[in-house]
Amino acid sequence: MTQFLSLLLNGISLGAIYALIALGFVIIFKASEVVSFTHGSLLLLGAYSIARLSDPLGFYLAALVGIVITALAAFIIERLIINRLRGAPVISLAIVTIGVDIILLTELIRRIGSDILNVPHPWGGDSVSIGDVGISQNRLIATIAAGILIALFFVAFKFSSWGVSMRASAEDGETAALMGIRLGRVSALAWIVAGALAGVAALFLVGSPTPGVSASVYTVALRAFPAAILGGLDSTGGALVGGLLIGIAESLAAGYQDQLLFLGRGFGDVMPYVVMIAVLLVRPSGLFGTKELTRV
Amino acid sequence: MSEATVTSPGATRAAPRSAPAPRRSFVRPLVLAILLILLLVAPIYVEEFWLRTGFAVAGAIVGAIGLNLLVGTSGQLSLAHAFFLACGAVTYVFVSGESGGIGLADLSGLGWPPLIGMIAGVLVAGLAGLLFSPVAARLRGIYLGVASLGLVFIGQHVLNSWTSVTGGFNGRSAPEFSLFGFAFGNKDPELFVVGVPFREAERLWYLGIVLALAAYWFARNLLRSRPGRALQTLRDSEVAASVMGVNVQRYKGRVFLVSSMYAGLAGVIYALSIGSIAPESFGLEVSVLYLAMIVLGGLGSVGGAALGAVFVSAMPLIFQRYADALPFVGSPGEGGLAPGEAARYLFGLAIILVIMFEPAGLAGLAGRLRRKGRDPGGGRLTSRSSAATSSTTTDVPSDRPAQGSTS
Amino acid sequence: MGTDVPSVEVENISVRFGAIKALSDVSFTVEPGTIHAIIGPNGAGKSTMFNVLSGVYKAAEGQVRFGEHRLDLMRPYQIAGIGVARAFQNIALSSAQSVAENLMLGRHHLTKAGFLAAGLRLPRATGEGKRHGARVAEIAEFLELGDKLHTPVGVLSYGDQKRVEVARALCTEPRLLLLDEPVAGMNAEETDRMAANILEIRSGLGISVVLVEHDMGMVMSLADRVTVLDFGRRIADGTPAEVQAHPEVIRAYLGSGDEIDPAQAAAAGAIAHHPSETPGTHS
Repeated sequence: MTQFLSLLLNGISLGAIYALIALGFVIIFKASEVVSFTHGSLLLLGAYSIARLSDPLGFYLAALVGIVITALAAFIIERLIINRLRGAPVISLAIVTIGVDIILLTELIRRIGSDILNVPHPWGGDSVSIGDVGISQNRLIATIAAGILIALFFVAFKFSSWGVSMRASAEDGETAALMGIRLGRVSALAWIVAGALAGVAALFLVGSPTPGVSASVYTVALRAFPAAILGGLDSTGGALVGGLLIGIAESLAAGYQDQLLFLGRGFGDVMPYVVMIAVLLVRPSGLFGTKELTRV
Repeated sequence: MSEATVTSPGATRAAPRSAPAPRRSFVRPLVLAILLILLLVAPIYVEEFWLRTGFAVAGAIVGAIGLNLLVGTSGQLSLAHAFFLACGAVTYVFVSGESGGIGLADLSGLGWPPLIGMIAGVLVAGLAGLLFSPVAARLRGIYLGVASLGLVFIGQHVLNSWTSVTGGFNGRSAPEFSLFGFAFGNKDPELFVVGVPFREAERLWYLGIVLALAAYWFARNLLRSRPGRALQTLRDSEVAASVMGVNVQRYKGRVFLVSSMYAGLAGVIYALSIGSIAPESFGLEVSVLYLAMIVLGGLGSVGGAALGAVFVSAMPLIFQRYADALPFVGSPGEGGLAPGEAARYLFGLAIILVIMFEPAGLAGLAGRLRRKGRDPGGGRLTSRSSAATSSTTTDVPSDRPAQGSTS
Repeated sequence: MGTDVPSVEVENISVRFGAIKALSDVSFTVEPGTIHAIIGPNGAGKSTMFNVLSGVYKAAEGQVRFGEHRLDLMRPYQIAGIGVARAFQNIALSSAQSVAENLMLGRHHLTKAGFLAAGLRLPRATGEGKRHGARVAEIAEFLELGDKLHTPVGVLSYGDQKRVEVARALCTEPRLLLLDEPVAGMNAEETDRMAANILEIRSGLGISVVLVEHDMGMVMSLADRVTVLDFGRRIADGTPAEVQAHPEVIRAYLGSGDEIDPAQAAAAGAIAHHPSETPGTHS
């Protein structure tokens, strides 16, 4: 039982990190109708920056600068490329983000190589016990931070003028523009926020129990995509639920892998994708995504 | 329903004659014929490295044409291509490979004729596509793009785990191809053409040409006919297509199937060209590479897909071969970029530039050169006139109630 | 003639988008072989009604019957298969392809060539293509597009493109033709030609035509019957003359400043003619 609880707790904490990434993904989709395939490399950029800057700047400053760098990179991508392609078919936008991802990823992998860069989290690899169940401090802090950020975001989304603008432009861009909403500004801000969230996620993703920053961070980050999709690409609440679902599923599958050996060793890594496909079979628009009004 | 005859308005007006079919220029067939002749005689003059590369490129062409049908023509973004390549490759290796193994690996194989293996590869990839197509058909918009990621990772996991079939992490060697006793290897029989020994590379070269041509021909026919028209309408607007009578879900499923079969064949060619398969060869990067091919070539164009395949496959090899001549490319440790890395930068950049500035890609450029040749300085069609962005003025019943519309 | 064209019975159709009721309890009947116009101020729900008829929107309540078929329960491609065709308001053509290729899409549900037959160029695919290609050329000829068959749609004038849109709908050999603002953006001459074509379609093919249009003159002289919508409700239904004099209709239009001349409309019972002569008789 304790194993189950431990895995569950671990899964929730992992899911919280996935939720942060997925949320950024959904924000971008809502604001600019773009599926950002750059998110994986943005995350790696954040992780790499924090790791590299930790030496000269110390952990806290490095973390801050790293998050800023990630947000800035997202902003640059939006201004230089996405904004110029407003009105292009959705598939073209998606493909262009793949192009950006290729460049960014190649550069980052070239610099990281096969090393594992260390990030000196102040809480290190310590664990915390809640009853009989243990969880790494890093993950605990991650969950708390994610919770705060997500809550803050939802409040802003519902009540701030930016949130309203974004919901309006997601609903009907033309009318929103006619009503005076600066679509470009909404989009840019969305990318900045998404970049920042990815930076925060990266900060915790490379902490215990993960050994550090390596090229595999990219692969792990990709697992947030199923989270966003199965919650519904245009549902911020869905990103949260999706993230948690994926995190828990992955954790359980990895934890019980001895019992699941027939599915292959390391099945936990593909569990997110299996769950995603299962959900999409029943709900093609995701759990909370807007269902299409039109029939084909 | 009966086809009631409709009479022309005003029999008094001289009925305008239908325009004649466009005058067929003979330049294009001539160029293609010359190209074909060059390809056929190439093995006599060209060195083995390029022949082997050519065969691999033929495989890329087949795969690219298939992906283009799905992504370019029908507008369905998919990143799962690598998965179907793997299906084809693994099936070939299993069906035509022998059981047994060296050391730790305990491999199973059916040992059937390689032709059967090749066909099985195509069919199994198609079956996989068929199994996934209910998902593919019902996902609207860009959901398929993200969902298809899942197939690649699941596929790689299976490749790593199902060791008896796939050879697991270490991979497995691919059996030599042969056709009714004629082996595509160095012997059986020993062959000399005008004094030049025709060994494996030479023989596979011709096999590649045949397969690539067949793939091209089939796709071209498809696009010029009823299914092709239906698919193109899918890209522009699923709702419009449905209103015009196209069963959208069925067509999305079918094009996914066809695309995966193309990928299966490409996978078999890949296995033959490398001589073995390994899970790491079928990762997300491969799907992305194929996407680069069809984007660079021009989404929606079959010829473009082929051009893009040649370009993307050849680039890393050219970088490698002529690394000394290129300023930014150097061997690892020397401070420059590795050829593979340099190529990837190029592709990423090219994708961005093509989408932003020349969506018709290489095919569009080729088309423009052709038109300039025929009619210099004259009537150029609308700049987005390639099949890549054949979209219309505004969309048709959109998913939201048209708030700004007049009705 | 000879095709059985049943009436279209729209009964109590309601459409909701979230909290918004786009159509409330709308009913009307399109008699076989007639031209039936749906008019109304902006936002009245005319395009929504068309989307219901095409199967694109699902009605929350009500039924649409066309012969023995229930259109409200069918998917768009099935509705096309039983002979309901639509020409879109905003042109939904493939601008890179030729007129002929666009028109051939209309033959989709009448042809059978599948992926295998088409990819291998089997005779049954190519033969089918030729036969239907000939028919398509005929229809193009009828709409004066015969000399433009091989022109890419993108280079055609707006008026020509709208005609291709109508031609493509005709290529489906419909029993019911839905025309969504067929003369929007056309000049007077093009409008007259299109009106003449529509009358010929009705008389030559004997099919029913439902028309959404803002050009009042055209509507009044073409339509056998008119249904007026406002804010998603039916406010009038009758002959053009009846509708024109209807106080509700006058009120609805006066408020949004449309083309109906209030003085003419106030002259109750007078049938106002559009200044330009529209050829063809009004049956």
